[in-house]
Amino acid sequence: MKKYIWKKVLTGILTIVLSFCFTFFLIRCAPGNPIKVLAGTDNPNPELIEHLTTKYGLDKPISVQFINYLKNVLKGDFGYSYISNESVTKLIKERMFPTILLTLTSSILSLVLGTFFGVYAARKVGTGIDKFMCGLSYIIDATPGFWLGMILILIFASTFKILPTSGMYDIREDYQGIYKALDVIKHMILPCITLCIIQIPLYFRMARSSVLQIMSEDFILTLRATGMKENRIFNKYILRNAIIPTITMFSLSLAFTISGVALIEIVFAWPGMGRLIMDAIKNRDYPLLTGIYLMISISICIVMIITDIVYALMDPRIRYE
Amino acid sequence: MKDIFTKISSNKELKIGVIFLIMLILIAVFAPHIANYDPYVLNDDIIAKPSSKYIFGTDGLGRDVFSMVIYGSRTSLKIGVLAAAISSVIGTLIGGIAGYIGGTVDKIISEIINMFLMLPTFFLILIVVAIYGGSLKNIIIVIGLTSWTGTARLMRAQAMSLRERTFIKSAITIGESNKEILFKHIIPNGIFPIIADSTMAVSSAILSEAGLSFIGIGDPNVVSWGKIIAHGRGYLTNGWWICTFGGIAIIFTVLAFYLIGEGINNLLNPKSSRLN
Repeated sequence: MKKYIWKKVLTGILTIVLSFCFTFFLIRCAPGNPIKVLAGTDNPNPELIEHLTTKYGLDKPISVQFINYLKNVLKGDFGYSYISNESVTKLIKERMFPTILLTLTSSILSLVLGTFFGVYAARKVGTGIDKFMCGLSYIIDATPGFWLGMILILIFASTFKILPTSGMYDIREDYQGIYKALDVIKHMILPCITLCIIQIPLYFRMARSSVLQIMSEDFILTLRATGMKENRIFNKYILRNAIIPTITMFSLSLAFTISGVALIEIVFAWPGMGRLIMDAIKNRDYPLLTGIYLMISISICIVMIITDIVYALMDPRIRYE
Repeated sequence: MKDIFTKISSNKELKIGVIFLIMLILIAVFAPHIANYDPYVLNDDIIAKPSSKYIFGTDGLGRDVFSMVIYGSRTSLKIGVLAAAISSVIGTLIGGIAGYIGGTVDKIISEIINMFLMLPTFFLILIVVAIYGGSLKNIIIVIGLTSWTGTARLMRAQAMSLRERTFIKSAITIGESNKEILFKHIIPNGIFPIIADSTMAVSSAILSEAGLSFIGIGDPNVVSWGKIIAHGRGYLTNGWWICTFGGIAIIFTVLAFYLIGEGINNLLNPKSSRLN
């Protein structure tokens, strides 16, 4: 068990180092010279260029620069935005809450709903409703989330005018307390539905195939032969074994969800990280962009390590491999 | 040839997928004959509703949406197929080497694959394209270079099981070199699941490109479905047709490749097809 955990932690650390190298060399090899931009293009002063180069440490060999960058990141300093000159950590912190709220709510909802549908379809395997659900899951998989969000806006906000199109709060009202929470929930419905619709097929298929796989195993046949009731076999033996993979799926999908959430946030003008990324791209604010990337990959690694450990605790077969 | 045809028509997913794909290829090849306007030309009618003159209406600059959707198939197919080709070649080679040679080499490569699996790939693609510019070539290369891990894992498993088979063992005994065995025996014998996987990779590459174009960092010089949708975002209240048809085109294309991949998989493992 200890060995297993160490192995996972080591892979996680290596991954963080890898993304770290990526961001460092991406910035270093980016076209354009930041010093020239800072010094101005019309009439650059050689002394100013020299001063800026020393100030930002660009005169040092690349290995020293790499170590300095590493030191800063370890201290929690992900660099400064070119545009607002504020620290990346601070900018991300401001936007973190809306993104986490949206991601977790929609992921948990899809986990529950997707697993439910998957188990249901597996019990009705081969029937029309099972085939319909499987077909639908393919079509949804082929649908770009951002487009789906826009179609939902078209239907519920533009045509029926029952839900707000964008944002997180109604800026014309000044709600307090419970009304504020209700307002946020109202704004959250559409982005949340969009994210749920695109994530449900993932859990649906996982749950369905793992239930079917366990149903075909020998020990289930033995239980049936003993004359145990079908419902009892299902609830006590099949469901329990089948549910574990969907839980791992939850953490694995977080990595993909975060980038998906960014696009959905842009569609709904949700004031989270997605908007921050969009702005960073528009302003060519590279330190902000790589800072966000680094921070997200680190959080994903941590979440994945935790899930791996939880998974191993739940299923002894994993840790003895 | 006839055998292939009966196989295709025996599998429902594969049949529908192949029909969709043939339609798409025809649309892409004959785009100039199907489209009734030049997708780059700005017509006089701005945000015109779908009518007999403009089948899918016009966008905010007066471009004909139908013609843009038709021409967009070229961009999507090009990006999807080329990016998937790059990623499957890399994946097959890396996975094949890891699985066949085994030992330390396999351990190192597996660790690298695990690391890549933990990275938020779309994000990485996004950053690279944002920094280095979103030309078609860049997008294809970046998507190809970041999405080979799935193929590599699959090929590794294939190579590991093939390695134990008698014909490979006899090839080793005869004295064939590792390179020969890898390219002549291991890869050709393990390639079918890889083909299924690569068709799926085409779909995800198309979706990635659509996402990039939607954010506004796609190739500015070509018509792409993601870009049409992004443009339509500004006209949600008065021009529903602008974004709607681009999205339907994406679903249609991605679905075609999904179905083909799924169909090949089902043909290869009849057992899993019963489960599905």
